Amino acid sequence: MVQCSTVRDLENHRQALLKQRNSKKLCIAICSGTGCHAYASEKVVAAFEEELKKQNMEIMVDIKRTGCHGFCEKGPIVVIYPHEICYCKVTPQDVPEIITHTIQQGKPVERLLYTDQKTGKTILLETDIPFYKNQTRLIFGNNRKIDPKKIDDYIALGGYSALAKSLSAMTPQKVLDEVKKANLRGRGGGGFPTGRKWETTKNASEEPKYVIVNCDEGDPGAYMDRSLMEGNPHSVLEGLIIGAYAIGAHEGYVYVRQEYPLAVENTEHAIKQAMEYGLLGKNILGSGFDFTIKVHRGAGAFVSGESSALMSAIEGRVGEPRPKYIHTAVNGLWNKPTCLNNVETWANVPFIINNSAQWFASMGTPTSTGTKIFSLVGNVNNTGLVEVPMGVTLREIIYNIGGGIPQGKRLKAVQTGGPSGGCIPEKYLDLTVDFDELYNVGSMMGSGGMIVMDEDTCMVDIARYFVNFLSQESCGKCIPCREGLRQMVSILNDVTNGKALEEDIELLEELCEVVQMSALCALGQSAPNPILSTLKYFRDEYDAHLRGECPAKVCKALIQYTIDPVKCKKCGLCAKNCPVDAITGDKKDLRRIDAEQCIKCGNCLESCKFNAVVKTTGKQKEFLKKQLPNITR
Amino acid sequence: MTKGKTKSHFVGVRLTEEQKKALYTLQKTSDLSKTDILLRGLEILSEYYALGLDQPPLNTELKKLEEEAIQHLQALKQIKRREESVKHMIQELREIDEIIDDYDGEKSALIQILLKIQEKNHWLPKPALLWVSERLTIPMSQIMHIATFYKSFSLEPRGEHLVRVCLGTACHVRNGPKILEAAEQYLGIRSGETTPDMKFTLESVNCLGCCALGPVMIVDNEYHGKLTSSRVSDILSNYRIGELTLTKEQQKLAPIATKQPPARPM
Repeated sequence: MVQCSTVRDLENHRQALLKQRNSKKLCIAICSGTGCHAYASEKVVAAFEEELKKQNMEIMVDIKRTGCHGFCEKGPIVVIYPHEICYCKVTPQDVPEIITHTIQQGKPVERLLYTDQKTGKTILLETDIPFYKNQTRLIFGNNRKIDPKKIDDYIALGGYSALAKSLSAMTPQKVLDEVKKANLRGRGGGGFPTGRKWETTKNASEEPKYVIVNCDEGDPGAYMDRSLMEGNPHSVLEGLIIGAYAIGAHEGYVYVRQEYPLAVENTEHAIKQAMEYGLLGKNILGSGFDFTIKVHRGAGAFVSGESSALMSAIEGRVGEPRPKYIHTAVNGLWNKPTCLNNVETWANVPFIINNSAQWFASMGTPTSTGTKIFSLVGNVNNTGLVEVPMGVTLREIIYNIGGGIPQGKRLKAVQTGGPSGGCIPEKYLDLTVDFDELYNVGSMMGSGGMIVMDEDTCMVDIARYFVNFLSQESCGKCIPCREGLRQMVSILNDVTNGKALEEDIELLEELCEVVQMSALCALGQSAPNPILSTLKYFRDEYDAHLRGECPAKVCKALIQYTIDPVKCKKCGLCAKNCPVDAITGDKKDLRRIDAEQCIKCGNCLESCKFNAVVKTTGKQKEFLKKQLPNITR
Repeated sequence: MTKGKTKSHFVGVRLTEEQKKALYTLQKTSDLSKTDILLRGLEILSEYYALGLDQPPLNTELKKLEEEAIQHLQALKQIKRREESVKHMIQELREIDEIIDDYDGEKSALIQILLKIQEKNHWLPKPALLWVSERLTIPMSQIMHIATFYKSFSLEPRGEHLVRVCLGTACHVRNGPKILEAAEQYLGIRSGETTPDMKFTLESVNCLGCCALGPVMIVDNEYHGKLTSSRVSDILSNYRIGELTLTKEQQKLAPIATKQPPARPM
């Protein structure tokens, strides 16, 4: 066991590790993040281990289970170092071929390489894949080189050197000044300057002080915090220790969502290892600074991600927000000064300390410095985690990195900022992405979820989805949020059911305004955003619903399934798949759908091999009625 | 139990010391309990009476005694059952004690303790909550507040397999709601309910953080990604059948999808 009691010890250990590790040695890195794990990456690891044993090559080749690489669309991802050959969608059956071809003969396995959709050519190296090439992987880059269970991997890559530097060569004030100068802004949603937050806690008179990592990533469609916490927990811990040193806190908490079991496991393991190495605990690296960290699991409440709610959850109470006339930085956990930052914010700190504030501020835009990790999901070709400097345009992210929309469909909108963010229409594709620009168009940065929606998405349905989500997650403490959201959902339900009137939309707008102004916490105050932004940019869709049409053909009450008699081959597959036996007609006769019985599940459309089942809405429905009087009733 | 009480009477006759000894040795040498020996004795007696010494008063006496013995046996069984359930409860509470001790009995660890109990049982039984309340000196009302506020906790027993369908945004735009509907249709229950045979509990969750796989369903801890509604029933039927290892004929008889979907409130 290594015990680093001084900065020199840590440096010596790092040098010993580097000497021990041969950079030319073959290493098979298999992504074991939750995404790839779900694709059975563990079986791939087992297959590699077994095959290497069979070939007696265990000593020559290392196997590494790494954190999330970010390119979840093509999982499980296998990268072979030192060449950095990247294989996508690897199955256990592919393993013997990879061993004989790549490991033994040094030739790539063509069919497993990434194929560029534009040129149709295969790409050998990980760094040449457009998804990776167009990114700036500052915080997220080490994930693919590190086994999150091994602290030595992190130390060998220069880990904990920022901590050593702060403890040995900088005063707490200097650390704080550096973070302030870097103009780092909170990555959790609000974008509040981190340095100022730290300073408030530092200057608060009460003792003790606390620091907290917020990994209660509740936003549906965002999972960068999870991947960082799972893939590189030490980088977050290092940031936290440095922050605690600057602020003068001796106790820290990591609040992790219970839905992320791997993140909990890896964080707990990382804390244990850091304790053993003397990077946590009493007298860290001989500096006289003491610091300990505890892991606290959330129990499934979206609102607990709010700072004051999170703190009451750590105290063992119900995670409800409280009015913040006095900020939590001054009066937080157990009424003591508490500094709470998001996972990604803490992970930025070691980079600022190591590379200077000027270097950090040179990335991004003047008001939003550094990089940001986005989780690019929804109707996009390359789903995954994307790290780019602030100020990149949406177009670059969606088309150059994300590879555009699947099946050549048209982009309709991009939703950013989680459930309480807003929908940005296609016309703003050249918008530069930073805290202020997103706010100006009625959305927000949020934690960095970026959900791409194609033309088949109904914007009213999306607004209903988000408001419904928020109304279910509302803690019910304040009336505007509890009752207001419920009424909003009921109006939006009417709209999607084609029962709403023009006045209802006006009422909805009024409600939005009231909730925005009077709700207790950010959840309620920002809850109307999805409605306001869709009303602003997609008013025509609301109007269409009032007329009884759903342009995207999503809202069940406004659509109808019919069978095109010309295309129908009378195979009867649709009738077989119908769960309610609404499709009648036999082999000789045409098939027809009984509109009374149909529950609009869409199974017939999915199962038809001849595209004979047609989805219609509103006027199209009238049109078809005229055209096919015998078919539809 | 009836420990400590020596049988001084047998079939209405006071036992002599010798007879008592005989009963004792009988009990020692055989695995039979005292009650069994009594019953066996009764049987022999009834045979004896049936052989010819048929006197009505004796017969009624005999019947009474028989009833008494049966009652005695039943009471014994009940006590045993109770004892077992108490033992089980003690065992459970001991486990809870261990969990509480892990957190040094700190009040602030309440949520963590409840999470651990939930993990172990898949739900929060009332005796457990009462015990936690007792140990941490936190009022039951506060515990119930927490147990009903957070989504991870269940106050009702859950099925053997936990089916979770993701309805996060990324899954929503990729047709996640249809997957939930298909699962509801197959299992014949609504989201949040458990099948009557206690096999499946169906739940919806808001994002599992593997959006690239959307729409996603997790059964126990296995992920099933890029689903279509038609694949849902195949996957779920595997869990139902695979576990029971039914024969082919039995499989045919196994209940397949209930055709009528459950009514959903709008």
